[in-house]
Amino acid sequence: MILQHFEDQESGIMNAIKKNPESASPRKKLALETARLGKRLYSNADDLVWAGPLVPFDLLNAMEVTPCFAEFIASILVSTDAGPLFFENAEQAGYASDTCGYHRMLMGSALKGMIPTPKLLISAMSPCTGGLAAMENLARVFKKDLFILHIPQKESDHGVRILANHIRNMAESVSSHTGKVLDKDRLRKAMENTNKTRDILSNIYKLAQQVPSPVNGRDLSNFGIVLPLFFGTEVGIEIAQSFYDELKSRIKANRSGVPGERIRLMWLQNRIQFKNNLVKMLEKEFNASIVIDELNVITWDPIDPEDPYIGLARRSISSPLNGTVERRVKQIVKLAEAYKIDGAINPCHWGCRQGTGARGLIDSSMKEIGVPVLNLEVDCVDPRNFAEGQLITRIEAFMEMIESRPSPW
Amino acid sequence: MYYLGIDIGSLTCDAVLIDDSEKILASSVVPTGARNREAITRAADEVLRSACISEKEVTATVSTGYGRKRVEGRLTAVTEITCHARGIKALLPGTRLLIDIGGQDSKAIELDENGQVVDFAMNDKCAAGTGRFLEAMARALQVDIEVMSELDNGARGDLTISSMCTVFAESEVVSLIAEGLKVNEIVHGLNRSIASRTLSLIKRIIPDIAGFPIAMSGGVARNSGVVRAISNAMKSKVVIPPMPDTIGALGAALIARERYSHN
Repeated sequence: MILQHFEDQESGIMNAIKKNPESASPRKKLALETARLGKRLYSNADDLVWAGPLVPFDLLNAMEVTPCFAEFIASILVSTDAGPLFFENAEQAGYASDTCGYHRMLMGSALKGMIPTPKLLISAMSPCTGGLAAMENLARVFKKDLFILHIPQKESDHGVRILANHIRNMAESVSSHTGKVLDKDRLRKAMENTNKTRDILSNIYKLAQQVPSPVNGRDLSNFGIVLPLFFGTEVGIEIAQSFYDELKSRIKANRSGVPGERIRLMWLQNRIQFKNNLVKMLEKEFNASIVIDELNVITWDPIDPEDPYIGLARRSISSPLNGTVERRVKQIVKLAEAYKIDGAINPCHWGCRQGTGARGLIDSSMKEIGVPVLNLEVDCVDPRNFAEGQLITRIEAFMEMIESRPSPW
Repeated sequence: MYYLGIDIGSLTCDAVLIDDSEKILASSVVPTGARNREAITRAADEVLRSACISEKEVTATVSTGYGRKRVEGRLTAVTEITCHARGIKALLPGTRLLIDIGGQDSKAIELDENGQVVDFAMNDKCAAGTGRFLEAMARALQVDIEVMSELDNGARGDLTISSMCTVFAESEVVSLIAEGLKVNEIVHGLNRSIASRTLSLIKRIIPDIAGFPIAMSGGVARNSGVVRAISNAMKSKVVIPPMPDTIGALGAALIARERYSHN
């Protein structure tokens, strides 16, 4: 059923582009490649590894195993007709209904046999212990081994060296579970590809900072979290390049992402993963654009292809999903200033302590630079808990408030 | 010229009619019921009839409340946060913190010296502690909601209602009655629960409320027991404007006048 979903998605996008080549947007390109990744995951042809979002996917791509992080597949499954059934299934199996929707979806679908069996599971201690528990549960369902990657919270040379060694051990574990050997040349090439993608991403984010911004609220949603799945590959470079070219052409044509942009917003943590009208409403009624998502950021230096483990370790440690709240808040403030935002929306994803625990600290730091924060309480994954009317009132009131006050910039 | 503000809440639909000098000509409060379009018509008809104005003479209408987008012929729809802020600015200028507890929403709104909204917080997942919560509790206590506001008189005040889920709180109240607790103690406990919840909302936006002029609007502001409990919890005086449940509609009428003149 899920394989069919990805096949339909791939052929649907290809047919649409064939019929109207001008409709080939970067967003479609990204959707096409994620459908192809989904197909590979569900076709039983590849060696699969389920991994947490801070695991170096480029290293796994270099080993020619298909990596995927669990939250990604949960966000795909929620858009299928069977989504609500998977949630119910997880709850019936004892998963509390107020735990993270990503993990509930994952467990519910795994118990229904809707998640393909991997050769190995890899989980990191960050971003959340809930994710680690979900992966432990999954490992038990699949009767497969779980490799736990210990990511230090603070960046120090000592911590980087420890993690670099640990990533080496992880690669050895992948080899022993899949029989795939990590070829030095392929690893070097993958790192070169990662660096190219990194440079393009960095340029994309610079373009997005322009006032008015060439991006609208949908262009780069989930971008910083999904694109790493393609790190180390030519496809990753192509996707990034297509976004860069599109934004560049919009700027050349003097076209902003949201016509008549009046309000610039930041979206904290993760987006709402099921269909909803909130972003469209922001654009249509308030000319408001989400110009920056918290996770759309490059926090790491290019990786040395000759000695990749140190660079990979630094990247994982520097992720906004890792480390202290203090560091995260500093990063958010930096982004707010770079993108000249008028306000930030924090969905405070249900059941996510990583998302809601920091909210008071984020609010007060943003207040210091004159940027208001709207805290919602949204289950970003389970549409059964979605009260659109309530959310619209809060968001509209936030927009009215922003309109009535002077810009912080 | 006449301007109409309509606030379609979950429990009541309120209307206020003003003239060009911002004078309130008439106001009405009708139950929303299941069909909010009918309630809108009834509330509007009542103010027009009371002010002897025909519908055609209304220059502009602004709607607010959860059903704001269902009002036909409106100039615009504005959220209740902005409308309550505008309404309180007219009646109690200088207010810096506005507490609004309606049928299913509770809000804390911080205002600047000009009455503009600076920040706000609202209840999210749950409507416990709002007008509907009080209705359910009155039902459990078998008392009229109107008389409930004075029922906490003479309470010693050490009872805490532990649950803030409306359904669970209702059963807790029933158990407390069965245990023989006096109604005034139970009502006082309920009021304290609402006050504690409201204080959490307020502290989210204003950590130190000392010296803030505070007002309260919305239907629950009519309940003097709840107002007393909130006031005690904050250790500050809470001022209630006349007809607190029509502040949102008044704000909408004032915004109708401003936007119409501006356009």
